[in-house]
Amino acid sequence: MSENIHARAQGLLAESLVEGIPADSQNWLEQHLQDCEECARLAETTRGLLRALRGVAVAVPVDLAARTQLRVRLRAQETAPGSRSGLVLWLLTGMSWLLGIFSAPLIWRGFGWIGAEFGVPKLALEFGFVLWWAVPALLAVGVVLHQRGTAMPGRTQL
Amino acid sequence: MTTHAQALGALSRPFCFTGAMTDDSKALAQGLRRRDPDVLDELITQYQTRLYRYLLFLTSDRALAEDLFQETWIRVLERGHQYDGKSKFDSWLFAIARHLVIDVSRRKKFSSIEDFANAETGQPYEPPDDRAASALEILVTRENEQAVQISLLKIAPYYREVLLLRFQEELGLEEIAGILSAPISTVKSRLYRGLTALKAVLPGGAA
Repeated sequence: MSENIHARAQGLLAESLVEGIPADSQNWLEQHLQDCEECARLAETTRGLLRALRGVAVAVPVDLAARTQLRVRLRAQETAPGSRSGLVLWLLTGMSWLLGIFSAPLIWRGFGWIGAEFGVPKLALEFGFVLWWAVPALLAVGVVLHQRGTAMPGRTQL
Repeated sequence: MTTHAQALGALSRPFCFTGAMTDDSKALAQGLRRRDPDVLDELITQYQTRLYRYLLFLTSDRALAEDLFQETWIRVLERGHQYDGKSKFDSWLFAIARHLVIDVSRRKKFSSIEDFANAETGQPYEPPDDRAASALEILVTRENEQAVQISLLKIAPYYREVLLLRFQEELGLEEIAGILSAPISTVKSRLYRGLTALKAVLPGGAA
C-alpha cells in the first residue's frame, strides 16, 4: 500500500512535468512531498535535471546569422517574381527566336549564294549555318552565367 | 504604419501566440508572403540560437547543423506564403528544420530520423533501464549543464528531440505533435521514456 503511494507520487511528478496535472492531484503531490523525504529528494533531483536541461548553452558560430542573411537576400533577389532584369532577358530571348525563325530562309539563301560564288562545299556551308545561330546564343548564355556568378559570392560558402 | 514597419515592429516584441491570429502574427505572415528581406533578417537574428541548438542536437554535427540552418531559412523564404499566422511561428520553423534533417537522413539511405543516430553506433537503440538516483542527485545538485549536454547526445534522437522541444523551447504537447506529425500520445510516451533515458546516461547513472 505504501509502495503504491510512492509510485503514485513518482507517476504524478513525471506527469506534472510532461503534461501537467489537475489542481487536486498537484495538491496531493505537494502534500506527499512534504511528508516523504525520499520522494521529495527524487522530485528535487528531477526538477534540477530539467533546470540543467533548460540551461544548456550552445555557441552559435559568430558569422552564421550574417552569412545566412546574405544568402537569403541573394536568393530573394535571384528568385524575385517579375524582376526587371529577368523580364528584359525573356523579352530579348523571345525577339531573338522570332527574328531567327523569319530570317532563316534568307540567311540560308545567302549562304547558298556564297557557296555557289566561291565553290564552298555543302558540308562547310551547313557547319557555317549552324555556327551563325549557335555562337550568339552561346555568348548570351556565357554572359548570363557570368553575371549570376559575380552576383552570388556567398554561394561557395555552403 | 506600413505593413513593412508593422512586421518589423512585431519582431521587436516577444511573440505571444494564442492560436488566434494576432496583429503580430498577421504582420509576420504578410512580411513572409512579401518575401521581405528585412523581416527575414530579423527572424534569423531572433531565432539563430534556438534553431541552431535544435539542429545541432538533432544531427550531432556542427558543419551539417550550419548547412541545415541556412537551408531552413531559404525554405522559409521560399515557402513563407504557406505560413498563415494562425500557428506559432517557431513551431512552423522547427517543422521545416526537422523535415530538412529527415531529407538528409534519407539521402544517407536511412528511412527515418531514428535510424540517423543508430547508424552512428551501428547498434539498434535500446532505451536504458532506469538507474539509481544517487549519482544523479550529486550531478544535478551541482547543476552540471555540460554533463547534461553531453548526455543528451547519448540518447536516441527521437527522445532528445522531444526533450529539447518541451523543456528547452517550452513548446506545448500539441505544438510538438504538429512538428513531429505524430499523435500527442506518441509525444508523451517519448517524453516519459526520454526523461528516463537521460537520467540513465548521465555520468554515474549506471552506479
